[in-house]
Amino acid sequence: MNDITLGRRAALYGLVCVTVLYSFFPIYWMLISSFRDDRSLYANFSLLPGPFSLTNYEVLLELTDYPTWFTNSILVAFGTVCITLVISVLIAYSVTRLQFRGKMVVVGTMLYAYMFPPLLLAIPLFSLFVKLGLADTRLSLMISHCTITLPLGVWLLWGFFKQIPMDVEEAAMVDGCSRLRAFILVVLPLTLPGVLTVAIFSFLLSWTDYTFALVMIGTDSLKTLPAGLDTMVGSYELRWGELMAGSTLIALPLLVMFMFLSRYFIHGLSAGALKG
Amino acid sequence: MHGERALYCIFGVATALTALLILYPAYHALELSFQDLDSFISEPVWIGFGNYIDVLNMPEFWNALGRGLIFSGTTITLQVVLGIGFAMLLDTTIPAKPLVRGIAVLPYLLPTIIVALTFQWMLDSTVGVFTQGARLFGYSYIPWGENGGVAMTVVILLSVWIWTPFVTLAFLAGLQAVPGELYEAARVDGASAWQRFWHITLPQLRPVLTVVLLLRAIWMFNKFDIIWLTTRGGPLQATEHLPILAYRKTFELYEVGQGAAVSAISFVILSAFILVYFYFFPLDEKE
Repeated sequence: MNDITLGRRAALYGLVCVTVLYSFFPIYWMLISSFRDDRSLYANFSLLPGPFSLTNYEVLLELTDYPTWFTNSILVAFGTVCITLVISVLIAYSVTRLQFRGKMVVVGTMLYAYMFPPLLLAIPLFSLFVKLGLADTRLSLMISHCTITLPLGVWLLWGFFKQIPMDVEEAAMVDGCSRLRAFILVVLPLTLPGVLTVAIFSFLLSWTDYTFALVMIGTDSLKTLPAGLDTMVGSYELRWGELMAGSTLIALPLLVMFMFLSRYFIHGLSAGALKG
Repeated sequence: MHGERALYCIFGVATALTALLILYPAYHALELSFQDLDSFISEPVWIGFGNYIDVLNMPEFWNALGRGLIFSGTTITLQVVLGIGFAMLLDTTIPAKPLVRGIAVLPYLLPTIIVALTFQWMLDSTVGVFTQGARLFGYSYIPWGENGGVAMTVVILLSVWIWTPFVTLAFLAGLQAVPGELYEAARVDGASAWQRFWHITLPQLRPVLTVVLLLRAIWMFNKFDIIWLTTRGGPLQATEHLPILAYRKTFELYEVGQGAAVSAISFVILSAFILVYFYFFPLDEKE
């Protein structure tokens, strides 16, 4: 190997290292800070991990509302995923299978709705929830999250359903299946990757959402993780160890999902599924 | 064909539900923007364009608009330039490629609250890791809490850190579609790496760039959470853009009508921008 290609190689590897450092260092710092006790956080500065301590996690889980927020987040995210999946599968499937004028208007409107600024929806939604007596409930937050996840679900699934030729289910129906059976037994298995992608991103949007949670929920014990953790910044003196432990626990489910389902993640991410 | 009617019913119900969920609130936002309300439970008074006139006469509004344009313009430019760079790098033969790609995408997956908290911890004025770094260069700390310019720079850099991977991923996907022969031919003709990038890669990626720029512009213009979580629009309104102004008006000052008017105006600005954008850069008709 001559010097020029060797030099280029070295430069390339150098750039890769810089990229990894740039993207990963803050995450690394959050992780190791979460496992340090106060003395090593504030007195002994070191870039390397350790000394290892679980104090922050113990305090967080035993002395704060964190476990409640965790339950709330799970409930809201789970509800959002279920509502989104049912409604968006129905809309996307019927739009691709029915022939009528103006059906693209529905898909177009969905895409347009996906562009709405969050506050343009949050302000009127909150006002409506107040009128309905639903303000400051987890249900209201779930419904608000659906205003983002539904357009996304319809848009993504429309792309998936339209790739499946009608012949597939017509053949099944000729063989005596009802449309419902044909749909469940033939079409749905074929679009499973699409359904899974929508499920993942509905979960992700709901789990990570801060804006709607801030607007919709006022009671501390009803907050979800992002909004809850934010109240810890305001009300206590800044307990960085616990805040980093709390951040790590919010990120953990996402990182695990990303490791095992990265294929679906990449597809959804490049389709703009995170709305951000 | 059987099941057709049931399908129409399902379609009708599901679509009506969605319209109720999304279009009705948007309509209600407009309604609110024409009303005078001092809380969400008070009796609304119809005042026509009063809120709009008030808002457009506020210097706060114009300052927020200007800051929003600076914020979105800078972040979009940096995201696109860096994103293309990362995509080119991750497209070459590098060791542990899937792992490196995964790590490069990570910031995009993290909830904004985590990023805001972690960077605030890293910028902590006594023991933050960035503060320690700044000391090596002779600064005692980074004054992002009291200096408006520094605060704006911090929220811009955070936004670039979080949202660049979207551009990277879009361009990585686009790069796979560029025919290899083009590069071969250029190499035979003796084109330099820069010339290949400028005359082959960029023109080939133009459709991707058109979409990416539009989406980034929409999302950065509307971005609320990262700025709110990091600076609350401060210090002294130095990072307050339209979404934060709308939030403050509505939920802190209880000027609900004015808050709705601010978000309606920003949506009008955005829609006008989208129309102009489509006029100059029509999307490919392939899809």
